[in-house]
Amino acid sequence: MESGLSDLLSVSIDFGTSHLFFPTLITWIMAVLFVLVVVTQVVPFLAAVRRGERALPILGESMDSLRFFGTLALIVAYFHLMTVVGDMFPYTGYGFLFVSIPFVFLMSLLYLHEWTRKALVIVTLTAFAAPSLAWLILAKLFQITLP
Amino acid sequence: MEILSLLDVTFFLLTALGALVGIVFGAIPGMTATMAVAVCLPLTYALGLNHGLALLLGLYVGGISGGMVPAVLLNIPGTPSSITTTFDGYPMARRGEGERALKISVVASLVGGLISAAVLFLFAPLLADFSIKFSYIEKFLIILLALTVIASLSHNMLVGIFSGVIGIWLSLIGDYSISDGGNGKTRLIFDFMEPYLFEGFSLLPVLIGIFGISTILLEAEKGVKSDLSDERVKIGKGAGATFSLALFKGRLTNLVRSSFIGTFVGMLPGVGGSAASVLAYTQEKNLARDSSQMGKGAPQGLIASESANNALTGGALIPLLSLGIPGDSTTAVLIGAFTLQGIQVGPLFIPENAETWYVMMAALIFANVVMFFLMFYAIKTIAKVVMVPKHILFPIIVMMCVVGAYAINYGIMFDVWTLLIFGVLGYLIQKVGLEVAPLIIGFILGSQAEVYFVKSLESAGTLTIFFTKSPIAVVLWLLILASVAFSITMSLKNRAKHRHELLG
Repeated sequence: MESGLSDLLSVSIDFGTSHLFFPTLITWIMAVLFVLVVVTQVVPFLAAVRRGERALPILGESMDSLRFFGTLALIVAYFHLMTVVGDMFPYTGYGFLFVSIPFVFLMSLLYLHEWTRKALVIVTLTAFAAPSLAWLILAKLFQITLP
Repeated sequence: MEILSLLDVTFFLLTALGALVGIVFGAIPGMTATMAVAVCLPLTYALGLNHGLALLLGLYVGGISGGMVPAVLLNIPGTPSSITTTFDGYPMARRGEGERALKISVVASLVGGLISAAVLFLFAPLLADFSIKFSYIEKFLIILLALTVIASLSHNMLVGIFSGVIGIWLSLIGDYSISDGGNGKTRLIFDFMEPYLFEGFSLLPVLIGIFGISTILLEAEKGVKSDLSDERVKIGKGAGATFSLALFKGRLTNLVRSSFIGTFVGMLPGVGGSAASVLAYTQEKNLARDSSQMGKGAPQGLIASESANNALTGGALIPLLSLGIPGDSTTAVLIGAFTLQGIQVGPLFIPENAETWYVMMAALIFANVVMFFLMFYAIKTIAKVVMVPKHILFPIIVMMCVVGAYAINYGIMFDVWTLLIFGVLGYLIQKVGLEVAPLIIGFILGSQAEVYFVKSLESAGTLTIFFTKSPIAVVLWLLILASVAFSITMSLKNRAKHRHELLG
């Protein structure tokens, strides 16, 4: 019996596949925990949703879709265009500078609730000033790599 | 004293600048000290270790302190850790005692910060000295203990553990690094991902994404409303609202106790400031001779809350500097800053980098002092930053996140996309109720845990080694069991209480 237990606990790891040992273990633990979470948390929660006591996250909540998806779209466009423009002017950081200005401008407009003249002027000024300042200090002064 | 030669004017200016920017970040609701540190990281790329740390520690202290401003004036905690400050701060502000409330909080913050710095100074080298003898087995158990503690302090232990395991899983993506003694093969990815993910996700873009981008997504979803449309910031002096140190008379026990509670909670890995201030607040409520006014505008509540949340700073640095395990999410970002400078935090950090250690202590203390003077004398000006509109701030934050992520590995665009991936992931995690802190700590410690675990097994060949290696291993197992038991008793107690309330 004694040797049976120590056999059970002895482990030998082949170096060639040792990269899979821990990830496999963790994946299994994660799967077991997932099932436990589903059984103890998600199922009761869904039952509460069906009774109308709780709302589903994201889907069942009211959200500002324009601003949320607008943010996502802007960020994707920002990241993508930065590479495109950056490749046109390599090692200058212009990709960052030229794409950040419209990005900051558009994102500010997206979040701005009341479009007054004063607010628009401030938005325009910061859209030019902030990326330029960041570019000057980081890329020029500190020599940090920018797209 | 060579250390003095390291403390030049730039050092002090950077610490002060950090404290100021941190206060501003902390004071803006929805933005935290973690975010301040993450967003300002690119500035440290060019600074060198000592100056970089000065800036970051300033940001950390400032960010935690700044949260008190909107908590008192607007009833919105600027950072999660100032939640209990709202209980008494806001009622005071409504009575026209806003300035007095803020000044009490500032003094309490200073005391909390300094006490925890002292504990850090005395305790971290001892702990490091002790842990230097740890083998891989004890190191693995320490990580296991850290994750258990975080999970057991989560709202729900199961969800906490699950979140932590997800973090570990994410950290294993990529190769089993040869430099750690692995075989250099990749796992958990498809072949086409290899050019991007050979080394896995970089730590800093992950952190910046989770703390920067997902915060913005969460706000965007709510429509980026201004919290203060028709709220006037009431800071003005009402009758008898002047501040004097006499307010602290008879509150010394509270002040010191709360500071120690904050330091202790800070030491527990992954547990944020909200736990520290809530614990200190409830202790004051239980132990004070007269707690009848708490919640209605009593200075003692402010003292408990603010001294505890500032004491967190020193506490959270203890496990970071002695074991390499971050005490909270902000120190997790600090790990990134160290890695960037080529320094490995862990038991050897203090003995091998004695100068850096003293520089950090100096920065921490100086940051607390600067925070005190800035907040005490310029509180009215600072109160106005609560008004900086988010539509100006958020785009600039995204921009800074990009700089931070792109520059970290000298220009890798995939790191910028990592921001978005983890921004969205962080958003989803918070929406479905998983916990961010365990996930992050799991992510940071996951790959080390793998090395310690696999190497221990390779050399011993049996799982029993984790129990029989040394007395320390046994003690660590007992601590792990204790934290699990603690969590189970707490949840049973809560359930009983809940049932009691339902019955009436």
